[in-house]
Amino acid sequence: MTTSAIVQTQKLSKTYSGLNPVNKVDLRVQEGEIYGFLGPNGAGKTTTLKMLLGLIKPSEGTVKIFGESLNKHRLSILQRTGSLIESPSYYGHLTGLENMKIMQRLRNVPDKNVDEALRIVRLENQKNKKADQYSLGMKQRLGIAMALLAFPKLLILDEPTNGLDPAGIGEIRELIKSLPARYGITVLLSSHLLSEVDQLATSVGIISEGSLLFQGSMTSLREKGSTTIYLKTGDNPKAEQLLLTQGYSPAQSESRLGFNNLGDANVAEMNKLLVENNIPVTRIEEQKKSLEDIFLELTGKERSL
Amino acid sequence: MIKTLGLEYFKIRRKKIWIMIMLFLGVEMLWAFISINRSIASNPDQAIWESVIHTIASMNGLFIPILSAIIVSRICDMEHKGSTWKMLVTTNVGRGQIYSAKYICANSLLLYSILAQTLLMVVFGLIKGFPGAPPFELLIQFIGGTLLTTLAVTALQQWISLAIKNQAFALCLGMLGGFIGMTIGLFPAAVRHIFIWSYYMDLSPVTFLYDEHSSSYITQTVGSGLVVAALIMTVIFYVAGRIHITLKEI
Ligand SMILES: Nc1ncnc2c1ncn2[C@@H]1O[C@H](COP(=O)(O)OP(=O)(O)O)[C@@H](O)[C@H]1O
Ligand SMILES: [Mg+2]
Repeated sequence: MTTSAIVQTQKLSKTYSGLNPVNKVDLRVQEGEIYGFLGPNGAGKTTTLKMLLGLIKPSEGTVKIFGESLNKHRLSILQRTGSLIESPSYYGHLTGLENMKIMQRLRNVPDKNVDEALRIVRLENQKNKKADQYSLGMKQRLGIAMALLAFPKLLILDEPTNGLDPAGIGEIRELIKSLPARYGITVLLSSHLLSEVDQLATSVGIISEGSLLFQGSMTSLREKGSTTIYLKTGDNPKAEQLLLTQGYSPAQSESRLGFNNLGDANVAEMNKLLVENNIPVTRIEEQKKSLEDIFLELTGKERSL
Repeated sequence: MIKTLGLEYFKIRRKKIWIMIMLFLGVEMLWAFISINRSIASNPDQAIWESVIHTIASMNGLFIPILSAIIVSRICDMEHKGSTWKMLVTTNVGRGQIYSAKYICANSLLLYSILAQTLLMVVFGLIKGFPGAPPFELLIQFIGGTLLTTLAVTALQQWISLAIKNQAFALCLGMLGGFIGMTIGLFPAAVRHIFIWSYYMDLSPVTFLYDEHSSSYITQTVGSGLVVAALIMTVIFYVAGRIHITLKEI
């Protein structure tokens, strides 16, 4: 975590009438990564992202983007940042292309950016339709195209696949995946879908009820899902006693004995020990905690996702 | 600034604002000219430039607040509808700049309306053969007074239109203003100067004087006190609205 952080917040908090939708959040988004900001509905994702863009003021804490304080360099930071927050923004009485032209003039970018952004989100054939007549998915694509228009260094997308059909979701995910390598864009995206973050992100921050519960690489999150070896024997209490004398303490001992993080050699040795002591071993099973289990464990939420 | 202003004009295409302005002006001018025609028929002394300036100024008290409310609401509502305000303020264009652009855009449309009005008044006077050349000095004062009042009214409307999503509030305020502007003659001077909508009449270079046996139009020099009061209201409404809207959380 020593490389340059594109986004860095410190004790970022927001208070609304006594409640803390965002509570002391320390985000670190490194250059070139796709950071998945994951949390159930109402966890505080949108509120956090709005504070990063200066749409709302933090009640406490600081935001640094590109190493600069948001308070002091807001406009220069915004110039290098594209965003799509909550529902997509569009002028319904104008066509998709006219909407893009507005963004183009605000962003001061050449015509070819408009064409390219429209092509990337596959709206080039619908660009002369009024945005009011777009489906929700098309509006979402337009929103992404507008966010992407200047090919910013940092792209902040709040639930970017909301309202898209499965094919559209796949397409947009592929698009997002390609951004860091193709355009050097760092992506910060929020989602309430674990599977989405799992597929897309290189780093992840898990937020629940305003607090950041985990932050790190996707790999380190998966590692939390350690494997457990389950043993079933003819006489579990006796087996447990015997194994304890050899320094194996089971993490779980009901109908079967569970051991965390055992190497193959250990498993073989335990088996040998039991058999030599005339305790029949009826099952040896390996179980890996799924990402979902880890997530549910962290957030303490039942399947509200 | 030119860029953001240009964008405002770009954004109001297909909003049919021009048609609305023409319709509104058309009704107002038709109504005014018919009523002047009638009073000339009953009293030929009324066939003078002053009568048309006075009539239009007093009718503006009714029409322009409503027209201003409509125009400003059209310009502001589109940001609420597609929630584009949050998109605008996450580009590197200052919020204050967007606010100013909208203000200038709305007022420029209203200025066109006032100029069109003046032109129609001149044409009407020439057709009716009012004595003397068109009184340019009075007309310029009429334009100045109407524009100044409009600047304040628009500032207030823009504040409300951007602060409150539901445009019914802004339109109601416009109608209330029009109602006050129309009935302002019934209020005592001390009270009427509080209401910006009364200034359409009060900043007019022509006033109507009743005395015991006759009534007549007299030209008046508008007191600088009233001009300053209108200016102060403009600044207060504009600055308060701009600060409120730029600091508002989204
Ligand atoms: N303007 C506001 N006033 C009061 N509470 C708010 C406001 N905005 C958001 N909240 C609350 O903050 C919490 C987090 O909301 P949000 O950031 O939108 O969650 P998410 O985007 O993760 O679904 C919610 O409980 C919501 O009700
Ligand atoms: Mg949200």
